[in-house]
Amino acid sequence: MSQRQLAMVMDLNKCIGCQTCTVACKTQWTNRNGREYMYWNNVETYPGSGYPKKWMELGGGFDAAGDLQAGIVPNINSDYGVPWDYNFEGLAKGEQLKPHVNPTWGPNWDEDEGAGNFPSDNYFFYIPRICNHCTNPGCLSACPRDAIFKRDQDGVVLVDLDRCQGYRYCIAGCPYKKIYFNPKISKSEKCILCFPRIEQGLPPACAQQCVGRIRFVGFLDDEEGQVFKLVKKYKVALPLRSDYGTVPNVYYVPPTEAPPKFDAHGKIIEGSTRVPLEELEKLFGKEVHEASKTLKAEMKKRKETGESELMDMLIAYNHDDMFRLDNNYYAEFAKSKGLSPNKPVDERYVSGKFTQKMKFFAASGVKS
Amino acid sequence: MRTLRTIILSLGMVGSLMASEALLVGKGANLAKIGLDAKAWESVKAQNIAFYPQTTIEMNDADVMKLNAENKAKNVSIKSLSDGENIAFLLKWQDGTKSVQEGYSSTAYGDGFAVQFPTVLDKLPYIGMGSDGRAVVVHLQKATGKTYEPNGNKDVFHQVNSSNQNAFEANLKKYKDEVAQVGNGDYQRVYLAEGFRSMTQLRDSSEESMMEMKYDKGFWTGVIVRKLKSTNVDLSSGNFPVAFALWDGEKKNRDGMKLLSPWVEVKVQNGKSLATLSETKEGDVKNGEAVMLENCAACHQYKEVKTAPNYMAPNLSNIGGYANESYLIESIIDPSAVVVPGYNTAAHPNFPWYTVDKGVRNSTMPPFSHLDAKSLKDLVAYLKTLKVEVSK
Repeated sequence: MSQRQLAMVMDLNKCIGCQTCTVACKTQWTNRNGREYMYWNNVETYPGSGYPKKWMELGGGFDAAGDLQAGIVPNINSDYGVPWDYNFEGLAKGEQLKPHVNPTWGPNWDEDEGAGNFPSDNYFFYIPRICNHCTNPGCLSACPRDAIFKRDQDGVVLVDLDRCQGYRYCIAGCPYKKIYFNPKISKSEKCILCFPRIEQGLPPACAQQCVGRIRFVGFLDDEEGQVFKLVKKYKVALPLRSDYGTVPNVYYVPPTEAPPKFDAHGKIIEGSTRVPLEELEKLFGKEVHEASKTLKAEMKKRKETGESELMDMLIAYNHDDMFRLDNNYYAEFAKSKGLSPNKPVDERYVSGKFTQKMKFFAASGVKS
Repeated sequence: MRTLRTIILSLGMVGSLMASEALLVGKGANLAKIGLDAKAWESVKAQNIAFYPQTTIEMNDADVMKLNAENKAKNVSIKSLSDGENIAFLLKWQDGTKSVQEGYSSTAYGDGFAVQFPTVLDKLPYIGMGSDGRAVVVHLQKATGKTYEPNGNKDVFHQVNSSNQNAFEANLKKYKDEVAQVGNGDYQRVYLAEGFRSMTQLRDSSEESMMEMKYDKGFWTGVIVRKLKSTNVDLSSGNFPVAFALWDGEKKNRDGMKLLSPWVEVKVQNGKSLATLSETKEGDVKNGEAVMLENCAACHQYKEVKTAPNYMAPNLSNIGGYANESYLIESIIDPSAVVVPGYNTAAHPNFPWYTVDKGVRNSTMPPFSHLDAKSLKDLVAYLKTLKVEVSK
């Protein structure tokens, strides 16, 4: 377990599925060769297949006894979907615009489909997903090479690309399927929680760019931070599929504030809600009932008295307040390790965690 | 394929086949030119070594578990040659499918083979990539298409996807060609390891080797040439152990999911037999089975004996296939002599296989030094029978 844990809260009541976070991440990190199909951040429609297809049925994570469960490594073409391109250059020659392959699957293939019957009780909502930077990561447990590590200073889970041999057991072990295989370099890659940004006091790109202001970022032990208040104080932010046993560190305010259903005559059924709590319970556990009550009570209180710390936080008047990153903490950490605070603290990401430590390297005269 | 810089030829050495599982070092040849099809191999006698499926630990890939559940052992024909300076091995094994890890796929795995050399000779390193103080050097060759180094040796520009380049038509094609040139098609690696978790790639030239593999009519052949003496390895003083492994990409083999040989003795002319590899092949198997049930079955699963809880201790179903007698005896009477980092304790936290005290790993298995000599001998004889059959 790391000394401190950085966490993210996403308010699903406010997510509009615009994919700005996805694009922010894509342009920041996954625009490299071999990462074309990867979305370290994706936004999927629930109910739906998700990305990769039916990831909740692909195993990984831990059982009640704490044993790592076997999982499946998804297929790029049939489960993730390969991005396709169009014949833009042919347009000038009068060709019809068409994709260069016949697309059969891709992320958000079933976007906005949801469940239920239109217009009486159909519903869906969006779940943006990044790596959960779990306290007990399935990927880390599965790695036979010690190539995955969890940083002491903030609990960010990273792949040591020097040690990674591309075995892909991590993908089978991650129940969220948030670690990916790069076929070009034959190594696993994943969300790095924008650690080079975080260390400079900047929120991750996905959170910074979020137009709905649904994302909060901060340390779980920072009692002044909004993340702490949402997760620990009000307990309205819940981990996704905590039954996988990995202790995820991305928390969601469940979408409890859905519109009501219609009856057979198209009239509103008072007191009904389109998103069934049982569905939310599948994702967020039994705690969703208590969270829902708290949210409703605070909303009522806010309406009646004009005051509610929780509602003010969720409204997100000031984007800056949503992020408490404490870059001084990172600067001090760098200082204590004799590192430059202007460079990413974690050199292991580039140079390899154990490479310099093997005694044979010293013996053979290779500079350490 | 990397080529050795200097090859010094010495007079041919003729060894003699002394034990059924020992490899013969053949007549010297120009090892610098020793490719897969070199004439020199023709006069060397091949020996069959059985490779057994690794079942000590279970890999957490559901597809792999399904595809490899019925694995049998495989006979691999091995030839060896030395010129006193270098050692070369030629492996030939049957594989119905040629699997190459290539293309835009997350589920393609390549066939491959590896050769493992010890860095110490007085003690036998653990077969699963060495152990503390008994490091091994592992040479690996996999069948892959082009692969690229992460960060392309700090060339970030050519890492950016072509659709993100501000380039069109001719310029775009030029960019794509440049990227293709950065790729390396040969997946040859050298590692240093003190137990299978610790394996670390050597990127300097301290353990150079030349490896090649070729598929033809249902068979793979693989060759490796390396120096007898290098930074970490010294095999020049006589007989030495060597071990092999191979992977079947079709069955999604990689890492621990493989077939492996026990340590095999390479005999050189006038070489003294290695005590660590001596096999007595005596003992009452039937009594050994009883000793095993009484002393071991509470923790270890093996074959159909599954009284022990899952993940409590290494599975011994194929231990007779890839463990040597000296290792078995050592592990029974002094389990802490060889304790590898093992697989991640976070994966199965209920039964830690070892505890760490001041950096030293102590096995949670109690020593069975109290066993009388006959029981021990019988137990080892029984353990040697624990292996799957060899496929025809």
